[in-house]
Amino acid sequence: MANPLTLLMPVVPNTSPATIANALAAQQSAIETGLTNVGTVHFSRFLLLDSSQPNLQPTGSSSDNLVLGVITEYDGDFDVYIQDFVDQIGGVFDALLVFVVGGEKLTPVANNVAALTTFIQQNDASQNPSEPSLYSAYPQTVQQILAAFSQP
Amino acid sequence: MSDTPIDYSDVQGTVLRGYRVDLARHFILKITDSAAAKRLIGSMVDGTAGMPQITTAKRWSSKPEFFVNIGFTCQGLKELGLTPGQLSTFDQGFQLGATSPETAKTVGDVGNSAPDRWIGGLSDGMSVHAILSLWVTDDPIVLEAVTARLREAFEGGMEELSSHDARALPDNRIHFGYRDNIAQPTVSGAPPRKHPIPDDQPVVKTGEFLLGYLNEYGSTYKVDPVELSTNSSYSSFRILEQDVAGFEAFLEKYAEQAKIDPETLAAKVCGRWRNGNPLELMPDGAGTPLPLSELNDFTYVAADASEDDTLGLKCPIGSHIRRNNPRNGMVVGTDSTHHRIVRRAMPYGPDFDPKNPDPAARGLIGHFINGSITNQFEFLMGQWDNTSTFVKSAVGADPDCLGNAVFNISGDDVFVGVNEASSSSFTLAECGKKGSNNVEIEGFSRMITTRGGAYCFLPSISGLRYLAASSIATD
Repeated sequence: MANPLTLLMPVVPNTSPATIANALAAQQSAIETGLTNVGTVHFSRFLLLDSSQPNLQPTGSSSDNLVLGVITEYDGDFDVYIQDFVDQIGGVFDALLVFVVGGEKLTPVANNVAALTTFIQQNDASQNPSEPSLYSAYPQTVQQILAAFSQP
Repeated sequence: MSDTPIDYSDVQGTVLRGYRVDLARHFILKITDSAAAKRLIGSMVDGTAGMPQITTAKRWSSKPEFFVNIGFTCQGLKELGLTPGQLSTFDQGFQLGATSPETAKTVGDVGNSAPDRWIGGLSDGMSVHAILSLWVTDDPIVLEAVTARLREAFEGGMEELSSHDARALPDNRIHFGYRDNIAQPTVSGAPPRKHPIPDDQPVVKTGEFLLGYLNEYGSTYKVDPVELSTNSSYSSFRILEQDVAGFEAFLEKYAEQAKIDPETLAAKVCGRWRNGNPLELMPDGAGTPLPLSELNDFTYVAADASEDDTLGLKCPIGSHIRRNNPRNGMVVGTDSTHHRIVRRAMPYGPDFDPKNPDPAARGLIGHFINGSITNQFEFLMGQWDNTSTFVKSAVGADPDCLGNAVFNISGDDVFVGVNEASSSSFTLAECGKKGSNNVEIEGFSRMITTRGGAYCFLPSISGLRYLAASSIATD
C-alpha cells in the first residue's frame, strides 16, 4: 500500500511564480529520470499556492505568501530510502530549496541528509495525525505494476 | 585508488583487513570507572606496560600471533565523556542501539531473536559499553595468555559481562556446511587481500567503510568531535545461533516437495553450493571447487541470453548472496554499491555430527562493518533480507523465457530473515508469464536466531588516543 507525502514549504518573500515555474521546467528531465531510477514513486507533482489569495491561486505577480508543494504517493519507508532519493534526485532538491524559507542551509542536500529528513518531516502535512489516511485503489507497488504489464 | 590515501596506521585493522585466524574471543564490557577505562584504552593504543596493542591496518612484516580491536557503543562513548550534542552527530542507527525496539523491528530481531532474550548481558543495551575483540592466529596458549593480561587490565575500569569464543572450521566452513568468506567488497584505497578473489564489481568508495572520506553519495560521514571522525568506522556485532539439525531437516523436507535434491536446495537458498562454487557459474552441479580467480567472478544480468540470469533461474533472486549483494541486478533506490558490507564473522560452538545430533549452541559470531549502520547493515536487513519488494521490474534477455524478476522472489532471506512459518516462502523460478511456473516452498521456520548484538563505533587510532586523553565533559 502506497504512502502519501504532502510537502508544503513556504517560499522566500517577494518571489514570482514564474521564477519557480522556470526552475521546475529546467528540472523536469532530471525529475523524471531520477524518480524512474528510484522506482518507488507512483505519482508526483508540484503545486504552487498563494496563501494571500482568497482562492489560494497565484496571480502571476511576486508575492510574499507563496507555498511550494510536493505531492507524491510512494512505496516503502521514506526515511530508509532518503539517502538513495538524494543520490538520484538531489540536484532537483538543491535547485528548488533555494526558493524555500530555510532551504538554503540544507544545500547541498547530499551533505545534509539528516537535516533534510527532519525538514521534510516537519513540513509534510501527511504526517499530521489528524490528516485522513490515503485511499489507494490497489495495493501493488510501482514495480509490481510495471512487471504485470511488462509482457503481453 | 582512493581520492585521499588512507593512513593505515590510523585505522583499526579489522576495518580494512581480514585476519585469517583459527581462534577468537569477544569480550562484552561495561565501563565501571571512566578514568580507569581511559587509561586502559591509552595503554592498549601504545602497547605500554605489557598491554596487548590495538592492531592497525598497517601491513605487517610477519603475521602477528594475535590481533586486537575495540569498539564502543553509544552508551559507552557517553561514559567516556561525549556530550549528547556530540552523540547526536553519530549514525542514527548507532544512536538508537541494537536493543532499541525500533532497531529490533527494522532488522528482524523479533520473537526468539528479540533483544530481551539475548545472552551474555547483551540484552541490557545500556550496560554494554565496549566490545573488545581478540583474534589469535592458531595457538590456544596465546589466547589464554592475552586473555589473562586483558582481564588483569580490566580490573577497576571495566566489568567483563561475558566473553564469547569463536573457532575456525576446516576449509573456511560454517556450521551449515558452506564455505564462507569468499566475497568482500573491494574498497578504494584498502590493502588488497592476501589471496585475491577478484570480481567485476565496481570498487566501492572509501567512505562507505571509513568516516572522513567520500562515500557513494558524494558526501562524507563524519562526527563531532572531529578527532573521532576520519579513519573511524562502525560495526554491528552479532551472535547468530544456527539450528543445524533444523536446516538439514528443512533441506530434506522441502527438496522433496520441490522435486530437487537437498544439496541443490542448499545451493538455491544460498546462491552457492556448499563447496563455495556459485550457482551462476555452476548451475547444474557443485563440481570441483573453482580456483580463487574464478570463484567470485560473475554477475547476474547480461545482454547475452546464454549468460543472462535476470530472472534468477540459475541463482534465485531471493538467495542469500543475491539478496545481500544484487550486483548488477536492478533494485529500487540506487544499487548494490550503495549498500555493501564487510563481514568479519567466524563459527562458534562444537562441530555438528548428524549421526549424533546435539542441541549445543553453535553459529556465527563477529562484526559486520560499514560507514553507516543505518544505510548499510540496517538497510540490508530491513530492505533486502526481510522484504521481497525491492526488486525492479526486469525481463530476461531470452525472449522465449517469459517472466519478470519481480515475480521471482518471495518471503525473507532463508538464512537471516524472520521467516514466520505462517508467511515464509522461497521461490524457485522457471520461465513462465508472471511466474506461473514458479515453485514456491512455504511454511518453514527461522533457522538462525539472534542471540546477541551491539552497535559499535570503531574509533581510529588517533581517535582512541583522543578518548584516552579527553576529560569527562561536565554540564
